[in-house]
Amino acid sequence: MRGMFRAVLYAQWKWSRLVVVLGTVAGFAIPLLSVQGAARPDRGALQTQELLRAVQSWGSAYPLLAAALGLLTAIAAWAADHRGRHIHALTLPLPRWQYVALRFGAGLALLTAPIAAVLIGALLGTVMATLPPGLQAYPIALTLRFALAVFVAFAVFFAVSAGTARTAGIILGAIAALVLVQVIVSGANLEWDLLGTLQVVLLQGPGPLAVFTGRWMLIDV
Amino acid sequence: MTYAIETEQLRYRVGKAFEIPALDLRVPTGSIYGFLGPNGSGKTTTIRLILGLLQPVSGRITVLGRPMPAQYARILRHIGYVPEQPHLDATMTVRELIDFQAAFYPRWDRARATELVERFELDEARLFGRLSKGQKAKLMILLALAQCGELLVLDEPTDGLDPVVRRDILSALIAYVSERGATIFISSHLVHELERVCDWVAVMDNGRLITESPMDKLKNGTKRLVVAGAPAEIGNPPFQLLTRESSNGAGEYWVVGNWEPDMTTYVESLGASIRDVIDLDLEEGFVELLRGFRAKGRAVRV
Repeated sequence: MRGMFRAVLYAQWKWSRLVVVLGTVAGFAIPLLSVQGAARPDRGALQTQELLRAVQSWGSAYPLLAAALGLLTAIAAWAADHRGRHIHALTLPLPRWQYVALRFGAGLALLTAPIAAVLIGALLGTVMATLPPGLQAYPIALTLRFALAVFVAFAVFFAVSAGTARTAGIILGAIAALVLVQVIVSGANLEWDLLGTLQVVLLQGPGPLAVFTGRWMLIDV
Repeated sequence: MTYAIETEQLRYRVGKAFEIPALDLRVPTGSIYGFLGPNGSGKTTTIRLILGLLQPVSGRITVLGRPMPAQYARILRHIGYVPEQPHLDATMTVRELIDFQAAFYPRWDRARATELVERFELDEARLFGRLSKGQKAKLMILLALAQCGELLVLDEPTDGLDPVVRRDILSALIAYVSERGATIFISSHLVHELERVCDWVAVMDNGRLITESPMDKLKNGTKRLVVAGAPAEIGNPPFQLLTRESSNGAGEYWVVGNWEPDMTTYVESLGASIRDVIDLDLEEGFVELLRGFRAKGRAVRV
């Protein structure tokens, strides 16, 4: 099984190395860029606010990076199988769930590089910055949250992209039907906010995509 | 006799367009079994059912003594498969594809793979997508042979290839069979090619098996007879009357299957006489079998 994993990992590395390398560079750079201002020696109350604003302004880059990494790595994991109509994969001598697990595991293994880069960047940024009183750095918490976001994004997009064009059509059809129902409901002046409800269910805790929302702060009170 | 592949009342259906209603197939162990049929007859679908890539509606499939698709993972360890279309990743090199495949097969024969790379003159650093059609076919044969399976399932492996490449591939297959005693299940349009290498043959049309027989029996038993004075009704003959056509006053042409020389007495008992018995090669026999089947809509058991 180790040999199989190595083979799958190598293949996926070949397909998604550009994404992984760029993601790793970005993951390392974002925490460093977000604390640039904190390295100045003349700090005061205003600098604290400025620093928090600077850190917050970079905050949205983390979930965006996590989503992009999850999406692109998941697509790369299945692209070759889709092109070959899955014939090669389906004729390999192992249970299909194991093959899916190998692909999933290889994708996650590759994504540890950008996650590690975020950790190293966040730790370096924290060490280099002189924090005003009352502020604290959260490099580990930020990295864990980034790792969770990457995992969720990869898992969701991996599941979607593993399916056939028919599956993708069903998902898109369901979304289109939802929007259509909302338009009809709104046209009929009924107070039934389907999309709003869906947003709450998905994006607010404990929704499955809640990890992407809220404040992503390397430095906070 | 043991069978490497056995299907029993196998039924598969895709919408309303195509159906395999009840397929009974028996591929003897150690044979080179040719699977013939026109385009759209169901050869590739049958192969996919045998490999567990498709789920049958009903019926039973046994491959190498195990039920398919229930034990697909165990069975696929012993099967080398070459599909109709190249299915490998175009962005991987020949060497990378060989290494990838080797990781999944515990009985992978590295020495054989190396020998075949040299014999087929494959450039290991070349991307699969950059290989010619013949080189792609050779690489897929290499991958199927180096995994040392007991059964090779080849879906039109030489289709569209030049004669030199076809000969290279067929000689590699024959060498493998003689060395390992493996079974080969090969579908092809190239009837003459199958005639040279196969010892069993089956013909399929429109999802139905027309015939399944040892090659020599099919070839020797399929004849064109020139018959004079034949009555309209010939009763229940001991041979299969595939087609019957008049021949410009010289009597009739009958194409028959399962023919043996002593059957002339039956024809003569009808008040007819046989003026000539013409041997048919496999291609002619194949065409006549199809014509006869389509005219009568029934299977021919040879």
